[in-house]
Amino acid sequence: MGRVFISLYTALLVVFGLAPALYALVLAFTDEAGFAGFDNFIGIFNDYRFWPAVTNVASFLALWLVVQTVFVVLLALIVHQISVRWIGAVARFVYYIPGAFAGAASVMVWLFLLDPAVSPVSGLLTSMGFDSFVQTVEQGNLPWIFMIIAFWTGAGQWIVIMYGALNGINPEVIEAARVDGAGIFHTAVKVQIPLLKKWIAYMAVMCLAAGAQLFVEPRVLSQASKGVVPEDYSLNQLVYLYAFRQGDYHGSAALSIMLLVVSLLLASVFVFKGGLFDRD
Amino acid sequence: MTTIHSMAKRRTGVLLAATGMSALVLAGCSDSAESEDTAFGFPAAEQDAESPITVWVDASREGIAQAFADDNPDLTVNVETYDGNAGGSDTFRTKIASFDQSGEGWPDVVFSSQTNDTSWAGTELNGNQAYAAVLNEGLMDQEYLDGFTEGALDPMTVDGKVYGVRNDLAPVVTYYDQTLMDEFGYEVPTTWEEYLELGERLAEEHPGYILGSVGDSFVGTFVYYFGAQAPIFQVEGNTFTSDFSDDYSVRMTELIDTLVDNGTLVDESVFSAEFLEQYAGKIVAMPGPAWYTGALFENPDSLAYEAGTLGVANPLYWEGDDEVTGNVGGGVWYGSSHSTNLDAVASFLEYVTASDAALEYAGGLPAYQSVADSWLETQSESGFYGGDFAGAMTKAAGSIWSGWGYPSFSAETAYANIVVPALAAGEPVSSVTDAWQEEYLNQAQVQGYDAP
Amino acid sequence: MTATDTAVRSARANGWARAKQLGPREWLTRIFFLAVAIFFALFFLVPIAWLLLAPTKTQRELLLEDPFSVGTWDTLVANFESLSAYQNGIIWESIGNSALYAGGALIITLVASIPAGYALALIDFKGRALLLTTTLVVMLIPNTALVLPVFLEMSALGLVGTAWSVILPFSFFPFGVYLTYIYFSTTVSKDLLNAARIDGAGEFKVFWLVAMPLAKPVIALVGFFSLVQNWNNYFLPFFMVNGRDYPVQVRITEMLANVPAFNPTSSSSVVVEFPVLALATLLSVTPVLLVFLFSQRFLVSGMTAGGLKG
Repeated sequence: MGRVFISLYTALLVVFGLAPALYALVLAFTDEAGFAGFDNFIGIFNDYRFWPAVTNVASFLALWLVVQTVFVVLLALIVHQISVRWIGAVARFVYYIPGAFAGAASVMVWLFLLDPAVSPVSGLLTSMGFDSFVQTVEQGNLPWIFMIIAFWTGAGQWIVIMYGALNGINPEVIEAARVDGAGIFHTAVKVQIPLLKKWIAYMAVMCLAAGAQLFVEPRVLSQASKGVVPEDYSLNQLVYLYAFRQGDYHGSAALSIMLLVVSLLLASVFVFKGGLFDRD
Repeated sequence: MTTIHSMAKRRTGVLLAATGMSALVLAGCSDSAESEDTAFGFPAAEQDAESPITVWVDASREGIAQAFADDNPDLTVNVETYDGNAGGSDTFRTKIASFDQSGEGWPDVVFSSQTNDTSWAGTELNGNQAYAAVLNEGLMDQEYLDGFTEGALDPMTVDGKVYGVRNDLAPVVTYYDQTLMDEFGYEVPTTWEEYLELGERLAEEHPGYILGSVGDSFVGTFVYYFGAQAPIFQVEGNTFTSDFSDDYSVRMTELIDTLVDNGTLVDESVFSAEFLEQYAGKIVAMPGPAWYTGALFENPDSLAYEAGTLGVANPLYWEGDDEVTGNVGGGVWYGSSHSTNLDAVASFLEYVTASDAALEYAGGLPAYQSVADSWLETQSESGFYGGDFAGAMTKAAGSIWSGWGYPSFSAETAYANIVVPALAAGEPVSSVTDAWQEEYLNQAQVQGYDAP
Repeated sequence: MTATDTAVRSARANGWARAKQLGPREWLTRIFFLAVAIFFALFFLVPIAWLLLAPTKTQRELLLEDPFSVGTWDTLVANFESLSAYQNGIIWESIGNSALYAGGALIITLVASIPAGYALALIDFKGRALLLTTTLVVMLIPNTALVLPVFLEMSALGLVGTAWSVILPFSFFPFGVYLTYIYFSTTVSKDLLNAARIDGAGEFKVFWLVAMPLAKPVIALVGFFSLVQNWNNYFLPFFMVNGRDYPVQVRITEMLANVPAFNPTSSSSVVVEFPVLALATLLSVTPVLLVFLFSQRFLVSGMTAGGLKG
């Protein structure tokens, strides 16, 4: 009987989850002549654009993860400290609202903010030596820029989640720590953060998986800067170029598979070791 | 205007007759694939005069495409807009690649705002037939193609085959402020040498006034180096070369460095707020593309000059040398080699470049000579510019230096990456020419050119 | 729930009360916290405030005046009209496309995932564990990773360029199934269902009459996440459709091409100025923004319960 209930979802799962993954797998290990072993992968590794793209994405991810973890936790703790109820609600909402600008819209917003000609923070930009949009988006700045965009849109929802998790902590535990003479800082480090661990890990995995797929941000910036932001900046842009510039769908699939494997490994570690899905 | 119209009509008639005849010839042949090759110069699909055509245009070209549809009620024309292949977006190429993969779906006509798409659209891509149809081996009338301003079709011509028709030209001319010229007692420069001299006098006598900006990547490359015949961006066959040690290149680099040093060339972008704030009314003379008229000078949101203040003069040349100039952009129309209604494609291409409508909808200097003449006449009538506006534009349009290359990558990127930051840091251009040349050669290799 | 709430509040109140008796170090921490909170509030709000003001100004005012100066109503109207005039109001068409894609996907998502989550939580059937595990793993795959093979698949099916090529992939939403699964396993007991079954109700009747009336919160939650995610998706529709069929997220990046500052070398008679582009950006997120505004309260509890797919 359960079959009927799951039938439509299972069909979608097969057609849009499993089949594309399998198809990509087949493409990745074949070429026009048939089975190709790891040739497509070796081709990717030898592409002079591959390692720079890996470095670009990795440096963006490293920056983002650190900033995201530190400030999301800090802000969640702060919001949780606010005892006036409506101020807390307003604060959460303020942090959360940029989330509505996910995707292309957020890049458009930051396009304005990064252009000293119109930016509300043009003073800040020029004081750092950036007098034009092209200078602002020079390559060395890009990991920072993408980190800021990602944090701006994505931090809010995690602050709200962490805030919820903090509410779930038994107040008596915190009170006990306070009675023992722990200050706000000590309470946070000794009691609250350890209890948030599971959520922090969850956030880290989700951010890693999503961030590795960086595409819209460099693409739109590349378009707006006439190529100063290179069109092969991120790995997903390479996937795109392989498929539609070079017509190499096998290479493109191989690269997709690599990205997929990284995501899946992270996901599996999380599902099986992290215990997020344990029902407690 | 009527002459253009009737001319176009007649040509279309000739064209239809010609294609009709080739169809008859085809029908009589046993091996049709072979003869299709000889009919158009590429393997055409089976033709059907009834089949609808799909046209991709940018927002600015939507009007004229729609006008064609309205004027040809017996044809079904689907007008689709896209980003016009704006710099860096690469939409045209990627979408065509995805249709190559699907084996269907190609638009019949595409407008691209870039000038260099022939570099890929005119060649086989990953074993797929070249997207762009050859126009001068049966599809279009040679008389029509000859009607373009001299040199306008160069960027789309490979080995004598023409793969696209130019929409508009953007030759570089010299703009000057008549009021300031009179006030300071200067003559309008006609050569790069006089321009340099004027810059030196201006810096001494009237500091704060300027002769232009090198802060935009299209200005540095196309206005100054292109206009100076500097061989820094050349393509010959599959070989890309860049030579900054050539005499022309060195002289231009020195000119720029001298004028930047004395403050008469500035490094603010002409689109920036600083430029508007500091230099509105301070521009004594400035070389720039034809479209500066609408984009900067007459634009109420930009420099907003009063009518009669500015004049337009011939481009700058090296003294005693060839009278050639640079070019900044200009869109191109391509027909699809996969189209099943090439007749309609041909009349569309002719309509958008050489008809009354082409004149009516022209956003910049039209590339078709007769349309350009009428357009310039109308523009001159407004009397906004002093000097010989139409004469200078016509002269410039017909004398674009043929040595500049149109490979599959942009000349501007390296300038933006290397030269603009150096200028901002107060370093002369001469200190980065090596890095700049290196960057061009690297990009060329990446794109599959031989770059020694 | 209410008991915990009260406890939380009293604990916090104690915190504040105690703070008054604490030394300067505790106060410094508080001031530091306040500074951080305000700094980030500005960081999150300033861009939005600027974006709200930008469409009320002309290009020239935007370039030359104070970034936070307020323009005029007339200018806003003028900018609105010029946006509406852009390609005969293509922006509205694009918003319509977005609504079609996200809306169509929303319906299929709900029809597919609510029963599936219900079955996974409350019915024993063969393959249940496998389906659940697969769902959990697939849920963590970012949806951009499979766009290329999905494109090739759609191309093979001849669906590229049709609305289905966007709606169908959008409808596959494992996170929604997971949320529903969590919801039903924590709020509805098997005993309740068994009781209904003993009364002679068939499986469908049980689902429809017993489970569905309880499912409203999770339907709203799944709907919200599906809608927001699909509305903002750029990559997939960018591959799948062309021209007038673009959703609004792709459209606004396309409008960039007509902004002279970003693409000066085209002889454009159609020019999109900064304020108009800002207005378009704002309009493109308005539906999502409205959903955010009106659903904040239930979202907070919902997200806390289920976590959120990044």
